Amino acid sequence: MWKDIGDREMGKIRPNSFSNRIKSNRISSLQLSNNKDIVSPHRGSINSLQVDLTEGRYLLSGASDASAAVFDIQRATNYEGDGLIAKHKCLFSVDKQHQKGHKYAISSAIWYPVDTGLFVTGSYDHHIKVWDTNTTQVVMNFKMPGKVYRTAMSTLATSHMLIAAGTEDVQVRLCDISSGAFAHTLSGHRDGVMTVEWSTSSEWVLITGGCDGAIRFWDIRRAGCFLVLDQSQSQLGQRPPVLARSAANKVSVSKSLSAGQNLLVKSRVPQKKYANGHGMKQSTIGRMPSKGSARQRLHPGMLSTQDRATAHYGAVTGLKVTDDGMYLLSAGSDSRIKLWDLESGYNTLVNFGKVRLQASKAIQLAVSQDSAQVFVPCMAVVKAFDVWSGKMSLTFRGHYESVNCCWFSSQDQELYTGGNDRQILVWSPSKPITDDTNGRQAKDEDSWSD
Amino acid sequence: MAMPVEMEERGKVGALIEKATNSTAAEVDPRLLKAIKSVVRFSDSELRLAAHTLMDLMKRDHSQVRYLTLLVIDELFMRSKLFRTLLVENLDQLLALSVGFRRNMPLPAPPAIASTLRSKAIEFLEKWNASFGIHYRQLRLGFDYLKNTLRFQFPNLQETAARIERERRERERRTREILQSKFETLKMNFSSVKEEIQATVDEIGECLDIVRTKEEGVPHVLLDDEDFVEFRSSELRQIRLDSLKEGEKVHENSDNKVVFDALRELYKLLVTKHLVSVQEWISLLVRVEVADNRSRDSMLKELIDIRNSLMSVKKDCEESGCTLPKTLNKNKEEEEDFWEEGNFGLTENGSTTEPEKRREVQSSNIEKKSKSVEDWNSKKSNKQSGNLAIVSASCKVKAKDKECSSSKGKECSGSENSVRSELLAEAPVLRWGSFMDNWGSVSNKDTLLNQKGLEFDNHWGRVDYDAVIPAEKIAELNLQAILYQENLGEIQPCRAPLKKGGLCQRRDLKVCPFHGPIIPRDDAGNQINQNSSTDDTDPGLGSDLAEQLAKQAVKNVRERAKEDVRKRKLDKHSLQREKLARVREHNDAVLRDAAIASTSRSTVFGEDMGETVGENPVGRNKLTLASMLRKKFTTKDRLARRLLNTRAAKATLRQMTQGEDVTYRDAFPNQ
Repeated sequence: MWKDIGDREMGKIRPNSFSNRIKSNRISSLQLSNNKDIVSPHRGSINSLQVDLTEGRYLLSGASDASAAVFDIQRATNYEGDGLIAKHKCLFSVDKQHQKGHKYAISSAIWYPVDTGLFVTGSYDHHIKVWDTNTTQVVMNFKMPGKVYRTAMSTLATSHMLIAAGTEDVQVRLCDISSGAFAHTLSGHRDGVMTVEWSTSSEWVLITGGCDGAIRFWDIRRAGCFLVLDQSQSQLGQRPPVLARSAANKVSVSKSLSAGQNLLVKSRVPQKKYANGHGMKQSTIGRMPSKGSARQRLHPGMLSTQDRATAHYGAVTGLKVTDDGMYLLSAGSDSRIKLWDLESGYNTLVNFGKVRLQASKAIQLAVSQDSAQVFVPCMAVVKAFDVWSGKMSLTFRGHYESVNCCWFSSQDQELYTGGNDRQILVWSPSKPITDDTNGRQAKDEDSWSD
Repeated sequence: MAMPVEMEERGKVGALIEKATNSTAAEVDPRLLKAIKSVVRFSDSELRLAAHTLMDLMKRDHSQVRYLTLLVIDELFMRSKLFRTLLVENLDQLLALSVGFRRNMPLPAPPAIASTLRSKAIEFLEKWNASFGIHYRQLRLGFDYLKNTLRFQFPNLQETAARIERERRERERRTREILQSKFETLKMNFSSVKEEIQATVDEIGECLDIVRTKEEGVPHVLLDDEDFVEFRSSELRQIRLDSLKEGEKVHENSDNKVVFDALRELYKLLVTKHLVSVQEWISLLVRVEVADNRSRDSMLKELIDIRNSLMSVKKDCEESGCTLPKTLNKNKEEEEDFWEEGNFGLTENGSTTEPEKRREVQSSNIEKKSKSVEDWNSKKSNKQSGNLAIVSASCKVKAKDKECSSSKGKECSGSENSVRSELLAEAPVLRWGSFMDNWGSVSNKDTLLNQKGLEFDNHWGRVDYDAVIPAEKIAELNLQAILYQENLGEIQPCRAPLKKGGLCQRRDLKVCPFHGPIIPRDDAGNQINQNSSTDDTDPGLGSDLAEQLAKQAVKNVRERAKEDVRKRKLDKHSLQREKLARVREHNDAVLRDAAIASTSRSTVFGEDMGETVGENPVGRNKLTLASMLRKKFTTKDRLARRLLNTRAAKATLRQMTQGEDVTYRDAFPNQ
């Protein structure tokens, strides 16, 4: 480590690469934090966790007892055990007692991406509510046609304030905060929509995963969906740029590089043609909005075979787009995790090994920054996989019942997990040896009497 | 050199643990445990191995193994940090295996041990959490989960211990305070008390002096007269000597009666009051803790001196021979003298208060009784309301009567005898019962249950002093109970005519077992038909006959039908019996076959058994882990096995014959 610092000072290592190295080091040493306790006020399973995107300081949790709570994860409310254990109590919580609170389980609680002044909760009582954080009052209320499974807001959006909501209903609805009405109704799924996710590369692209096993892509400026992921369409192995990227050069995902990637992809496409007999057309589907014509031609009357394609056998329970917006991770009730190349719309066939996933509930995946690791709740444990190779690198054991959600805070390199055992656990990098040897550490020592 | 040793050791800890957990005892063998600890202590690799082995053992499908493993785990857990860190990684698994809280992983077989395993695991978890929870989030999580989510009952050992300790300290503090206050009062009036005692002692001394001086005047005339008599037996001589000795003592007579009375009085005072209180003070001084030990010691010394002097005086008194009031009067004395003047601050605790209480209770009872009688009177006879005052007075007098049986009471009651007798004449005579205690009084008050003067505390655990018996319950308890008494009348004899002549003399209430219902009969035994008087006379004899005939006919028909039914039943029975017989026959045949088929095998089996027994004679009654799991064989099982065996044997027989057939056919295809 000191050598790295020296190298950075000498200019041998770029600052970015240096910090990435340290971060990945820290991530690889994540373990259950002993000195950071989040005191969960919830009486039901935790369904949703999110740290706010502006400060990285406030953790929002939504639970099955119709309560949502906000925690300050930077500053502890009190200490226990001679200051060894920092207790983080909730700053406030809203529950059934609140006169306008939800009646049934909150399935999803998200921050307004721009600041921490608002947050949005979706619940099984068919309502989506927008809350003012400071007054803890409901400022907006959307009545949905069915149980709300998941809500999402785009982190990139500058021109819209839409909440995408996946519900029991087959239609995906977009709720406009600025007008208080439904802006869109997207129909295409044949069953309830378990999970919704905005693209991280385009503010207009919405990705939804349904109980029918389909993952659909929507351009909200146009009607209908423009892409359905098909698990049978796969590309063998990873594309070279991925390999290049996941190797030493993690400096940045610059535009020039991605352009290079595109070139490389094109050069490889002919090979693929031989490999699995699919033409260029499909590969161009995934092109982002600029190449409208091809998609335009395909889209409204998309071939019915394409329209019926499925990404998973069974329901799609979790979706997560990587930070660069080029890959999509999906989890299904068939206990599979799949990595999709959004460029081509193909399954990359990364084998994430044998895992067992919760089938009945939507799960929330988390991706570490620079998309090296994905954290997946697998029943009572959370597993960290390498995104590109699918190898399991870490197992987080601590929950006593199924884990529903996890959130990775890239600022502190901390992982937050919430499960059916009503606990929110913090997983933090093991601390380097600190210099407090003043008696209280001494307590935990060997004590052989004979 | 180091490597082989290590290798050897490596095997060692595993073997040791294996050995320690492979037993049926309720505890791990302490020597093995010690060996494990000593091996593990000096080598981290051993410790890792031990942790691994122990976790493996926890997965065994046997509660006893798990239980012993858990005990070993606890031993190491409390000692080694590395072991703790290794173990908490898989704490959820450990808990699932030891507590069995997951529905799909219940605890394995011997259920009795499984339950102890569970309780032990919960206890251990609490202990671990209390001592190391601060360092291990996993422990806290596990504890919290079991306690708050699954609502397991933890023994809460620490808290209980703390509570007991607190209570004990509280009690001690209170006693110390009491002692202190007593000590203070004693210090205050120590000198006065001393003087009082001294005065008593002096008075006794004077009395004794007087008695002794008088004694010298008594002549010993009688002695000479009795020398004449011969005494043969030593016993008689002994008696005589005694009596002589007795004679030497001072005897009470009219002259010195006053002195003796005084002496007696003083002795009483000395024994019952001074001596007791001095004893108490001594014990108080011994127990009390005060700042200045010197004053206490000096007081103690003085008190001991006083006690000694009191003892000697007492002895003197007893030797002086005055007939001192002994046990007979003692109770009375206690009640009358001692306690009436005994508003002594220092002797108010403990057992000494009991007589007082008892007395109170007694008197209150008496009051109550008299009051209840009053009540009853007032209800019963309004006309006598004028006498009420007198009556109640008489009652009180009666109560007093009981208390002090002096002639005074008689005089009082004598005057009111007439009223009393009047009342007595009117009063109903009832059998005695507890309801008499509060006759006629309607008490609406709840009664405190535990305030009867008995100290329940410390005998039966904590006592709720506010426990109350509700008024209606008490009313229920005090209901008058009366035994039902039936009035026995004369039971009429049956009087049915007998074949041999005479009448049946059986006496039954309603039905005679031989002659049916008892009905009034005339002297010849013919029934006197009640309704015959209306029936008989008008239709005459003919209709009667017809009726009788019709009855007979009906009877005949019914009998025949009955006969038929019986026959059918018999047929069915015989059929069934036949069937059963057939079945039995078949069974017999099968068993016979089995016996024939299994002889060779069973003999072999028996030999086998014999051999094993011979090899390992202890093996039979030795307890093993497997034996804990094994079910006891019942006769049913044995029979089932036997039947199975026979079936198998039959099947093989059939197969063999078939095989023979086939070979035969193969060999001679032409035939």
